[in-house]
Amino acid sequence: MEIIKKLTGTTLTVSLTEQLDTVTAPELESALNDLDGVKEVIFDFEKLEYVSSAGLRVLLATHKRMMPVGKMVIKNVNESIMEIFEITGFTDILNIE
Amino acid sequence: MDAHSKKILDAYVSEMPIYEKLRDVVTSALKETLSKGRLIAGIETRLKTKDSLAGKLELKGMKYSSLHDITDILGARIITFYTDDVEAVAAVVENLFEIDWANSVDKRKIHESNSFGYMSLHYICRVPESLYKDENCPEINTIRFEIQMRTALQHVWATIEHDMGYKTDVEIPSEYSRALSRLSGLLEIADEEFKTVRQEITEYRRKVLTLVKSGNFDDIGFNMDSYKNYLGVEPFKPLLDKIASALNAEVQQTGFMPYYDVLKQLGVKTLGDIEKMKKECSDDAVRLVLFQIGDKGLDIIASTVAINSLCTVYTLKCGNGEQGVKNILDRLYGERERNVSAAKRIVEQAKLLNIVK
Repeated sequence: MEIIKKLTGTTLTVSLTEQLDTVTAPELESALNDLDGVKEVIFDFEKLEYVSSAGLRVLLATHKRMMPVGKMVIKNVNESIMEIFEITGFTDILNIE
Repeated sequence: MDAHSKKILDAYVSEMPIYEKLRDVVTSALKETLSKGRLIAGIETRLKTKDSLAGKLELKGMKYSSLHDITDILGARIITFYTDDVEAVAAVVENLFEIDWANSVDKRKIHESNSFGYMSLHYICRVPESLYKDENCPEINTIRFEIQMRTALQHVWATIEHDMGYKTDVEIPSEYSRALSRLSGLLEIADEEFKTVRQEITEYRRKVLTLVKSGNFDDIGFNMDSYKNYLGVEPFKPLLDKIASALNAEVQQTGFMPYYDVLKQLGVKTLGDIEKMKKECSDDAVRLVLFQIGDKGLDIIASTVAINSLCTVYTLKCGNGEQGVKNILDRLYGERERNVSAAKRIVEQAKLLNIVK
């Protein structure tokens, strides 16, 4: 998985590729360690193909960190990942555009 | 201005810093104490300007032997939403300050039964040493000040009357005085109505809570209040536990309020309808979720998974098909193209499980 981070002002855009799973979720977790001063995190899932439970947990943790200071949004979600969000009920928790 | 009045005015100018200190002490004590509850609509404090005091002294300077005889140089006003909260606020004020009962007046009670006008509770107070003490400024504990307590509607009436520019009601031409009295009576009725409505809502909520706790769901109409109380007894937990246990999944808590609109759309009229829905659709709701998640190896779910599946199965069993499922998705996540394909997938899954033909 490739993690591309782009900070524009207080908005951090994080683009991911391939799979967010048990192996790659810890990488994303470390990449998001320092969110000081960030008011908005945008995940761009255009090139992401799959999210596992481990990936959901990292997204959830980031969502909870951002709630008090700003927001987290997930964009460009493909059909199969959207289905994962829907069947797990994560569509009721996360902001998915 | 006569010499006596001028002496009082000069005393005010030289004691202004003490009055400002007193204002700050009173303001912060009131705000700190009253902001804890939800009794009040607002607090105002003000010191009389030098000009305003001069005007008062011109009119009745001889009435006062010294500056400290004037009890409304510092005035505080506490505005409540409801008439019964005036009494509650008064109790707080009585606890906070020393009340000069001889000079305090309940202007709500001075009117005859057939007259209407200014309605406000006025207390003349002092700051007790237990609340604030400054060795260098003992006057803080001796200077009296006035606190007016009234409802927002009484405040509106008094403010408008004051804005008309008459210092006393006897100055107002009788035709206008009558109009103002009429309005005062009207606002008194409105205040009473607001109080009654609040009491009835409180009573209704208490009744709903009792019925929910006793499990008499058929007797409880479905509305936002009853739904909130219903959620308090965790009605979807057994269903959720069943799903989580079968999947060995961690449950992430999230709010159920978005499902209020969905249940409404599904025609739920009483909490009993939801109970009936649970009775008739729970087994299939569990089967559907397990089928959807089972082979994907996911072990984290939101707490709304159960209610979501329940609503989906219910609408399908009602014969609403894909459109019914789409309506739920539209209601929850807004109308979007994706809801059509998602609804189609869910219906296919339900058909495979023989939930619908």
